[in-house]
Amino acid sequence: MLKIKNLHAKVDGREILNGLDLTIPAGEVHAIMGPNGSGKSTLSYVLAGKEDYEVTDGSVTWKGEDLLDMQPDERAAAGVFLAFQYPMEIPGVATMTFLRSAVNAVRKARGEEELSTPDFLRTVKEKAKHLNIDIEMLRRPLNVGFSGGEKKRNEILQMSLLEPGLCVLDETDSGLDIDALRVVSAGVNALRSPERSMLVITHYQRLLNYIVPDRVHVLSNGRVARSGGPELALELEESGYAEYGEEASAA
Amino acid sequence: MNAPVQQFRTEVEQDLLDLFELSADALPGDAAVTALRQKAIRTYAAAGLPHRRVEAWKYTDLRVALKNVPPLLAEVDVQVGESEIGAALGQAFLALPAYRVVIAAGEFRGDLSDIGALRDAGVEVGSLGQMLESPPAWLTASFDEAGRRDDDVIIALNTALMTAGVALRLPEELTLQKPIHLIHLDMPGASGSIFTRNAVVAEPGASATLIESFGTLGATDLQRNSVTTVSAAERSAIHHIKLQREALEATHLTVWAANVGAEARYNAFQVNTGAALARNQIYVRFDGEGAATDISGATLAQGSQHCDTTLVVEHNVPACESRELFKLVLNDEARGVFQGKIIVTPDAQKTDGKQMSQALLLSETAEFDSKPELEIYADDVVCGHGATSGQIDEDLLFYLRARGLPEAQARALLIQAFVGETFEALDDEVIGDAFAEVAADWLGVKLD
Repeated sequence: MLKIKNLHAKVDGREILNGLDLTIPAGEVHAIMGPNGSGKSTLSYVLAGKEDYEVTDGSVTWKGEDLLDMQPDERAAAGVFLAFQYPMEIPGVATMTFLRSAVNAVRKARGEEELSTPDFLRTVKEKAKHLNIDIEMLRRPLNVGFSGGEKKRNEILQMSLLEPGLCVLDETDSGLDIDALRVVSAGVNALRSPERSMLVITHYQRLLNYIVPDRVHVLSNGRVARSGGPELALELEESGYAEYGEEASAA
Repeated sequence: MNAPVQQFRTEVEQDLLDLFELSADALPGDAAVTALRQKAIRTYAAAGLPHRRVEAWKYTDLRVALKNVPPLLAEVDVQVGESEIGAALGQAFLALPAYRVVIAAGEFRGDLSDIGALRDAGVEVGSLGQMLESPPAWLTASFDEAGRRDDDVIIALNTALMTAGVALRLPEELTLQKPIHLIHLDMPGASGSIFTRNAVVAEPGASATLIESFGTLGATDLQRNSVTTVSAAERSAIHHIKLQREALEATHLTVWAANVGAEARYNAFQVNTGAALARNQIYVRFDGEGAATDISGATLAQGSQHCDTTLVVEHNVPACESRELFKLVLNDEARGVFQGKIIVTPDAQKTDGKQMSQALLLSETAEFDSKPELEIYADDVVCGHGATSGQIDEDLLFYLRARGLPEAQARALLIQAFVGETFEALDDEVIGDAFAEVAADWLGVKLD
């Protein structure tokens, strides 16, 4: 279970999160929606432990442990996974090398045996197949020259390989056409399980047609302004974010 | 000896002259070689050691840096076996499939060198020390060519004091299937100077890869001066590769000078991790149209190491191509220097020259000095250069850490990726992988 209480966070001296409360029980998928600048991405970075995101008040506990006290790699080992809105391109690092380093680093930190090369390759091939990822793509440098869809599918591949307990998806739908959106959503849905919590951050309701959430929260000015069931997303699609601090035309 | 010209010289400058005086009688060579040596030492005596007011030595003041002149090492037998070579060069370079030639403690080691196999493969090859007693015409020609660059003090001193090395001639159209691996070692516990000279002559259409690696058997105070001349006739291809892993106290002064004929290719690639002071000079001169060179490499330096790479490419004829890419990783107080001069003479139309140097600074106190010099006298040319200097990208670091990589491992991966670009550009997987291992070794990480 993820528990966020009264979270305040600053970026470049500007307060972005302003008393955010959120609880996600095990096995549930929660969506966070909200206008631009409401703090959606900031929340994802704070959860993953990015530097420059200064928490000034409040707490975040994950499975009873203080998440804010952990280094980014310790959070990954503890099961927190952030699917980036803009995955990084790293020339000179083959995607496969990166995947293997990540899997084995996390396994090592969790006290598990590192995967042998054949075992690792078998696992990657199987998971890549479900995401329509060509093995050739994984021989290329990490995300370099990947299309928007390839980058996002690569994020979901990493998510499935690292077997996290908390998946944070930051605007995973951005830059995806409808076919890519279907593949990515199917990949995410395949990971839904009673032990796994998910936080799906999106600006648009569209993604939630494919990844149907248990709860929807609207973020405004750095706090949860409203919570409801999946129907809340549909309502927002109709009315826009006007009442949450953004012009309807901008959405 | 003739009276020197220079009015004032430092103690070390005088010591170098004394070293020559003391050693002259024992240095190998016939009368013509002796005359060559005399002429070279006079050139040195007139010029003295280069210092920072000499533009080409602006960042590497040799007059200040050289504190003493250890005795000449030559004709010393040291114990060298596989374990010594492995310790000196690392396992990857020990394992490289190649014709080996070993020079240890300034002595050509016929017992450790595959001279017979090289001759069977069609290469004319011999120990330089022996060949100096009666040099063949092609070797004399290469000395004459080097003599034209005698204004370079490293070459002048080398010509005066060269004792050992290897001379190779690749006959027309010979393609050597395996690389030649020239292994330069020092001497355990020694304080000494080593002057080696190598000459490579590739006749038309010949091709070969020459790897020169420099490693330590545990010298305490080594001054290495090594010059390799390459004459690449038309349509020939020479790939010249270097690993510099000298003792961390050593001084490493080297020159590679290549003349490249029409439609020929000369590629030079150098990786430095050793020596307190290293100065690597690479001179390439195009003598025939349609020739090409790629000069690249990587420097990994820490502590107070100083590593200087200085390139001069002379486009004297039309339609030649030069590519330069150097990457430096500098930690602690290390200092990296890159100087790249590209000269395009008025006749050298359709020249295509590109140069790039990039430094990754791992500490606040590391320093990178870059000096591109483009002297272009022709009007129809494409020439470009760039230099960058930066730190590890924090966003990339966060991405890796968010995937579970501990900070040290994530940093190492990014550094490997940075220098790895040059290894991939080598276009030789075996040697590229060997360099990747050298980099991993330097970073203290294991490769998968």
